[in-house]
Amino acid sequence: MIGQLLSILVLGAMISAVYALIAIGFTMIFGVGGVLNLAHGALIMLGAFTYLAFTSTAGALSLPPIVGFLLAVVVTAAASYALYAGLVKYIEDNIVITFLATVVVALLLTELIIIQFGSAPSQLIPVVSGTIYLEAVGTRLRYVQLLAFGVSWVAIGALWYYVTKTDEGRSILATSMSTRGAELTGVNLQKVKSRTWLIAGAFAGIAGVFIGTLQSTSPEMWLSPLALAFIIVVIGGIGSIKGSVIAAYLIGYLETASVEILGPSFQGVLSLVVLVAILLMRPNGLFGRELVHE
Amino acid sequence: MSSATDRLSTATGRIDQSLQPLADVYNRLFGDYFGEMNGLQFVLIFGTAAALLTAPFWGNFGLVRAMTVAAIWAIFAMSWDIQSGYTGYISFGHSVLSGAAGYTTAMLIHNVNPELSMMITIPVSILAALVVGLLVALPSLRLTGPYFSLITFVSVLIFYRLIPSFSQYTGGETGIQSVEVFTYDPFARYYYMIIPMFLIAIVLTLIARSNIGLILMSIRENEAAVNAAGINATKFKIFSFALSSIPMGIGGVLLVHFGGGVDPTTFIVVDRSIEMIAIAVLGGMSSILGPLGGAFFLVVLRDYVLTEIAGFPSPIRWTVFWGLVLVVLVFVRDGLFRKLWHGLDRFGGDRR
Repeated sequence: MIGQLLSILVLGAMISAVYALIAIGFTMIFGVGGVLNLAHGALIMLGAFTYLAFTSTAGALSLPPIVGFLLAVVVTAAASYALYAGLVKYIEDNIVITFLATVVVALLLTELIIIQFGSAPSQLIPVVSGTIYLEAVGTRLRYVQLLAFGVSWVAIGALWYYVTKTDEGRSILATSMSTRGAELTGVNLQKVKSRTWLIAGAFAGIAGVFIGTLQSTSPEMWLSPLALAFIIVVIGGIGSIKGSVIAAYLIGYLETASVEILGPSFQGVLSLVVLVAILLMRPNGLFGRELVHE
Repeated sequence: MSSATDRLSTATGRIDQSLQPLADVYNRLFGDYFGEMNGLQFVLIFGTAAALLTAPFWGNFGLVRAMTVAAIWAIFAMSWDIQSGYTGYISFGHSVLSGAAGYTTAMLIHNVNPELSMMITIPVSILAALVVGLLVALPSLRLTGPYFSLITFVSVLIFYRLIPSFSQYTGGETGIQSVEVFTYDPFARYYYMIIPMFLIAIVLTLIARSNIGLILMSIRENEAAVNAAGINATKFKIFSFALSSIPMGIGGVLLVHFGGGVDPTTFIVVDRSIEMIAIAVLGGMSSILGPLGGAFFLVVLRDYVLTEIAGFPSPIRWTVFWGLVLVVLVFVRDGLFRKLWHGLDRFGGDRR
């Protein structure tokens, strides 16, 4: 029993770190631009498949995993930026059209991936291989899980430093608090939004490689990270980075615990129930603020 | 540009004038209920209706089959529209409602009694859609804007994830395939789908053009003002959800008896909800006939033009389909059929 608890504690921490990455990108885009980016899951999928394309032993390029990882992050960030500059920028004033256009982009990307890679799930080569047996906990931990945990916290730390200590970053924070206020103090809104999409894309790329390695890589994989991002962001409060991190851990632990105790078929159900409960009690989430209507 | 329009409208205006008497008869009889139209618009509506009603006589098998499916999707899109398009509360979860009806029918037959007659399963299934609709509406209508859309989206996810958890009743991923189809005759089957569609279209148009429709639209424009006028907006939002659930239930029942079974991919997955919205937006949101037209346009394109005529394999077909949806979304935001309708209004000669 103690062993089971400890293993939930350790495994939950590993996956929650990745969930936090997924949710932060999603929440930043909403906080700054008021756009719900339903293509966020598709960007995560793109990260996983870029990594697959560059590192797969079957492909022409079988680059070392770490290079593939960096390339995946760069490609996903670029794709995210392109999505904003090429599409969302022109339609973001209409919320319904933006909803639909981003989800259609996700569906479009799914089909393109099916054309290129087929619809069967693929296996990613882990960025680092090997496992370690934690005797005290009684569970086996893959090095890639540890790496995911580490990279996630480094990325979150870097983001925190960026948005609180640098001027460029602070303009992002300011815009998410009040668009008009930020504009009045001379913030270039377009630039801030582009940067946000770039950061969100990079985070999605990192998350994509790890989700792809730890869970599955298939053309249908975008939906479950998107759902996770939704759930986490709503629980944490849309637009709040702190809320996203806390909610990511809440959901990560909840899922790990329900898989360990109730079985794998209940993985998602419990977190959805928690989500509905929280929405009913605190519609703005734990750390959310009222939606600002302009 | 404008002179071209002028020259064209002198020609079309003459056609319009010659058709005007027909339209006038209609306007005098029904104009108050369904809105007035000019000669060209009259021909568009009644020409299309006549074409739809006679499709099996002139269409080939593939086309009629695609139109049969389109009729069901038209019901879904119109139902989505009377709730989301009119009130501005964008639901991402409408496939839950049709899914509830479809699954109720299949589960009654599969788990309760295989001999159960349609006289029982159909009303019960529509009732189930209504109950599920209210279950989704009551908590979620406390939320506004993106939060409302989020929770309706989540309702799809909950439903989808519960299916494998209770696979002994729901059949899991493969679903239940033991439902009796209405008929295998493609000719009769078409009418089984198209007649309910027309009835629903007429009823929904009547409601949308009545004061109720006006209130729903006012909720979209300014909910606070509606409340301030002494009208309980929440009541009307719930009503719109109920109003939407019933045709969704009918559509779900038609779909289950069309294919002879239910499974999560045909009924529940988020793609299905998105398709309904895409159809409605493409045809023209907050107009009942727009989504109807959008459904025939998109489904015939997807299931007939891209498949049987162009012969694309499935992923390419879907790529072209979603690519096209994206283009229309970005460039014709108000919808194809609204554009067509107002175009006919402009070309319709002198109406001053």
